[in-house]
Order: sequence, then C-alpha cells, then structure tokens
Amino acid sequence: MTATATRPPQTRRRRPSGVSRQNREMWVLMLPALVPVLLFSVGPLLYGIGLAFTDAESGRNHVTSFVGLENFGTLLADEEFWASIRIGLIWAVSVTVLQFLASLGLALLLNQKLWLRGLARVLAVVPWAMPPVVIGLMWRLVYHPDAGIVNTTFGTDINWLADFSWALPAIIVMGVWSGMPQTTIVLLAGLQGIPKELYEAGEVDGAATWRKFWSITLPQLRPVIVTITSLDFVWNVNQFTLVYVLTQGGPGGRTRLPMLFAYEEAFRYGFFGYAATMGVTIVIVVLGLLGFYLWRQMREAS
Amino acid sequence: MRIKSALAAAAIVALAAGCGGGGGDAGSGESAKPGEPVKLNFLSLAWQKESVAANKQLVDEWNKANPTIQVTYVQGSWDNVNDQLVTSFEGGDPPDVIHDDSPALSGFASKGYLLDIKDKVPADLKSDIPQPAWDTVTFDDGKGNQGVYGVPFLQESQVIIANKKLLDAAGVRVPTSDNPWTWDEFAEVSKKLTKSGSFGVAWPMKSPVNKTLNLALNFGGTFFQTTDGKTTVKVGPEEKQVLQRIHDQLYKDKSADTSALGMGTADPLPGFFAGKYAMLPVGVYLRQQVVEQAPKGFDWVTLPPLKGTSSDQGAVSQTLSVAADSKHPEESLKFISFFLNGTNQAKLAKGDWLLPTSAKAAADPAMTTKENGWDVATASAKNLVVAPFLKVNGFDEWKSKVATPILQQYFANKISIDDAAAKLVADGNKVLERYQR
Repeated sequence: MTATATRPPQTRRRRPSGVSRQNREMWVLMLPALVPVLLFSVGPLLYGIGLAFTDAESGRNHVTSFVGLENFGTLLADEEFWASIRIGLIWAVSVTVLQFLASLGLALLLNQKLWLRGLARVLAVVPWAMPPVVIGLMWRLVYHPDAGIVNTTFGTDINWLADFSWALPAIIVMGVWSGMPQTTIVLLAGLQGIPKELYEAGEVDGAATWRKFWSITLPQLRPVIVTITSLDFVWNVNQFTLVYVLTQGGPGGRTRLPMLFAYEEAFRYGFFGYAATMGVTIVIVVLGLLGFYLWRQMREAS
Repeated sequence: MRIKSALAAAAIVALAAGCGGGGGDAGSGESAKPGEPVKLNFLSLAWQKESVAANKQLVDEWNKANPTIQVTYVQGSWDNVNDQLVTSFEGGDPPDVIHDDSPALSGFASKGYLLDIKDKVPADLKSDIPQPAWDTVTFDDGKGNQGVYGVPFLQESQVIIANKKLLDAAGVRVPTSDNPWTWDEFAEVSKKLTKSGSFGVAWPMKSPVNKTLNLALNFGGTFFQTTDGKTTVKVGPEEKQVLQRIHDQLYKDKSADTSALGMGTADPLPGFFAGKYAMLPVGVYLRQQVVEQAPKGFDWVTLPPLKGTSSDQGAVSQTLSVAADSKHPEESLKFISFFLNGTNQAKLAKGDWLLPTSAKAAADPAMTTKENGWDVATASAKNLVVAPFLKVNGFDEWKSKVATPILQQYFANKISIDDAAAKLVADGNKVLERYQR
C-alpha cells in the first residue's frame, strides 16, 4: 500500500490487477496448508451440520432422508437433553472456576522464590502428562468404596461414583485436578510477564501485599485470565474421555454430560442424525455463553 | 464438535469400506483359489481366565484340524462391544463370527447387520439345543420376517448362594430343585437369619433392571405388552410383586441390608464371607468367585431359584452370530457348529460357570456334579423361558434412561411403588415410541 501511494498517479490504473495477482499468488501459496484444513476440519464440520437435518440412523434397512428442522423441534422438547446440558454447565462452570482459583493460588506460590521451586514446577505439570484414560482409572481407585483413599482417609463409607448426589461433585474434583497444569502454566507465564517496576512503585507508595495483588497483579493478568478461562470453559464443556472412563454417565444419568449424551445417542442407540443435531446445539449454546462472557469482559476492560 | 468429527470419521470409514467392498469381492474370488485358506475373524468376549483359555484352545484345535479354514481369535470386551460393533458394521468390515448376547442381537437383527441362519444351522446342532433357547435368538428382521440371528450357547439363571453354617444354625429347611423355597418362605428364612449386625440377605442393585425383570416372571410379570404391533410398558400387580417383596425385605422386615443396594453383583462377597450376609441372590456364574475367594473352610451351598406362581425366569443367552457382511458365511457356520457342539459347550460352560444350552453338554458329568453346586445350577436351566424384554425394540434405551434410575430410586425408598410404576410406564412409552415409527 505504501508503495502505491508514492507512485505517480498513472500507475494507479494497474493497481487492481496487481493486487489480484498478488492475491492469486497468496492463494496458491496457501493452498497446501488449506487443503488439510478443508479436508479434515471444515469438511467434517459441514457434513456434521448437514447430518443434523436428516434422520440418519444406523442399520442397512434405513433410508436416510432430509427432515428439515424436525430434529431441532424434537430436541427442544427433549427434557433429558436439557437436563444433560444443565449437568454439563454445572460441570463446566464449576470446574473452570475452581480450576482457575486453585491454579492462580498455585501459580502465585510457584512464582515465589521457594526452596526446590524447579522441582515443584515440574510436579505441578505431572497431571498434564497423563493420558485421560489413565487419569480416569486412577480416580476410580481413589473413589473405590472399599479400597479407595478417600474413604480410608476420611473414614466415610460412601460409594462416591454410584451415589446420586455425590457422583457429580466427585467427578468435578477430578476435572479440576486434571486441568490444573495448563491453567497454572499459563497464569505463571502471565505473572512473570508483569513488570517488576510496578511492584516497586507500589512498595514505594506503601501498598500491602493484598493491595498489590488486587491493584497490580489482577489487572495486569486480566487478558491472560480471560483467555485461559474461556479456553478452559470450552475444553470442559467438550470433556468426554474422563467422565466416560469414570462413570459412563451414571448413576442414573447424574453425570451424563452433553457430549456423552450425544455419543450414546449415536453409537449406542444408533440415531446419527439426532446426535448431530445435539452436536450443533451444543456448539450454539457454548458459542452463545462464550460470546456473552467475552463481550462483558471487553466492555469492562474498555 | 468432537461428535461431529467422530461422525465424519465414521462416514469416511464407511466410504472407504464401500470402495474396499468392491475390491473385496475380487478378493474373495482370489481366496477361492485352491491352496489359499479361508480366513475368519472370531470376536470373543470371554474374560474369565479359564474361559479365555478354553476359547483359545478350541480355536487352536479347529485350526489344526481344518487347514483350509483358518480362524483368528480376536479379543473383545463386554464393556464396549456394542459400540465397537456398530462402527464396524457401518464400516462394512465386521468380524465374521461374533460373540455377543441376545439383547444386543435383537437390535442388530432389525438393522440388518446379522445373517439369518434359520435354514443354515446343521440338524444335529439344531436338535441339541432346545426350542426355548432358540427363542432367545429369534427376532424380527426389521421388515416383519422372523429370523434366527445366532446360536445360543450359554445362559444364566438366578440362584441363591447361602452360608451353610448359618442356615444349619437357624434350622431352616434346605430347599431342593424339586421342592424350592417360595418367596414367602424366603422372606421368613431371611428374617430368621437376621441378627444384630448381620442380615439374612443382600440385594446388590447397582444394575437392577435385568435382575428384577428376570425374577418378575416368577409371578408372571412381563413388563411389556404388545397390542396391534405396538409395544408398551406395563407395570401391573404381577410386575409389582417382586419389586414390593424386595422392598419389604429392605424396609419392612429389615432382613436385607440397605447399604448393599449400591453394590455391583460381586461386591457383597467380602461381607458374605464374613457372615454379615447369610444369602446372596445372584447369577450362577458368581459361584466361580466364591470358590476362588472364599476363606479356607468356608461352607457354602447353592440354592435353587425361588418359586412365585411359578419358578420361571427370564433368560437371555450368550450367542455366536455371523455378520451379514461376512464373505465366508458357510465356513463361519461350520466353525460355529464345531465350537458349540456338546463336548465343547461343556468346556465353555465350565470355564464361564454358566449353563450350557446343549442337551448333551448338560448331561456331561462335569455339569451335574454336586461339587460347587453344579447340580442345582444345571437343574435351574429348566426354569428358563425367553425374557419378554428381548423382543422389545428400544429396550436398551428404556433400561439406561428410564428403568435404571427409577428402580434405583425405588429401592432406595425415595419414591413409592405407584410413582415408580407410573413413571416406568409414562417415560418408558415415550422412549419406545421412536423405535416404532
């Protein structure tokens, strides 16, 4: 743009074709990168959205046909599904909030000059290195009614994962634990990016620790916090493996997250089209909530 | 998002398999060439150590005797076999010989995934297995025709495992297969066996549905009825009998431990060995765990099924089926006929501690010995009739979404029997409706 601006006016006529040529080159160069994106990301996405408007089912006796918005109509009246969305939101919000609070505390601690800080930082990342299936199996042992560490430690006699009121809290604790590393690392990186001068200036003005945290650390961390909580929220809503391994949605559907619900609908009962409708609806719900959250955060920030 | 990519992946697999299917025909033409053995995949769900060993040994035996039909043993798991099969059926590349159970076959049959073997079963195998067992694998093909979709081979009946010492101490009559306890007698005995800190009986009800539905037949409770081709849920006086009786033991007689309710079938065993529970109503296969885990000198006995208006129990079978997509259906059936002949069924039944369907196998001395209650277990096979829920499309969803939570709440004394019945019917019919469009 700056180049064209300094050129004499008569070359201006050629600008459009020049730009379009540049554009063409850009597209050609980007094509190798775009093909996999289109093939493996956009394609399946569109296919999934398309499925949501059909009555696709498993089985070779079934002929799939286009049904328009019928699936969405059924879904709106499907109490089970909305109950599952409610469970999903309780799960996602509490895991995200608790995860954030615990991780912030841990990050602040790891940011101090502690003895063996290096080791502690490595240990904090350990859950991250574990595959979700292993985490699930490990927590199943933690909650085991007879041999589990929870019942032995607290002397309780509760079958945590089979109890109607305890199952959801129990998996939330596991969710918090398993997601803490990435949140902690991101917050720690954010903390290290805060200029020391701000704290020095605060000390000169006589600010106490709490005041420094409230007026310097938090505002400085804000962009990081907004980013990581939004990401965590999306990840948590989409969580599948952990809960599948731990409770498979039981007891009596008390931990049936929306993703689990859609999975059962498709692969257990064989209603592919309806399951795709659920997928699309979950995306809409998540985008709506996330949009609202980001919009509020941005409005407050400005 | 994830679900959509999963569906898309399934679609791609299906496409790829569709193309592969075209090539596969050419492939099967090739394998018909002399000297090229036919290759079969056998998906087995055996999981107990003895049973896996028995399965593998039979496969080896077959492979040695039949160099032209080579079978590969593929290990599967009950936990996820049906999800796995749906994807492989949709992908067009299922195992040739499939081990599963009759509730699953019902759905697969109506979707056209399995081969109808009605006219293909060899006569000697067909006559060796009684008709009630064949009924557990006879299903609608989704177009209104009845077909046979597997060979039934192992069945489970509900018996009672009891602490012999406590029974003798209480001086109760020990029932025999010819003269079993009635439910009333059972309630009386349970009360007698209940003392402070110990209970007459423990009902592990983590998965209550199949157990209660199978026992409900004692009083003629079917839970489903079909009129004019439309199946609906029914919870009347017959269905309520067993529900109410178990509930009474828990809360009226207090002869059953309420804290055992959340347990899986094998979980009360430590309490049983410690004398905390005198009796456990369980499937016959649990005898294996009792034998393996019981402390030395622990004296236990297998008691025959209870009697209501009859001793009938709902039965489902473990089965071997042939996939509709299999390129070698005849060879697959030959293998199945060998695998499930009388002698081999006895081996499999012994390995899994279940009841064989084969009449020859049931007459095997190993199946009628007094040791470990085999005589009582094998005799209980005569009480097995086809479970009515087998023929219900959508039973699986009814079970997991409606019946399991409601029955759990009912046994936890959170809702009354009338509320439970009303909900089982109303919510249940809503679920069943979409399978009958």
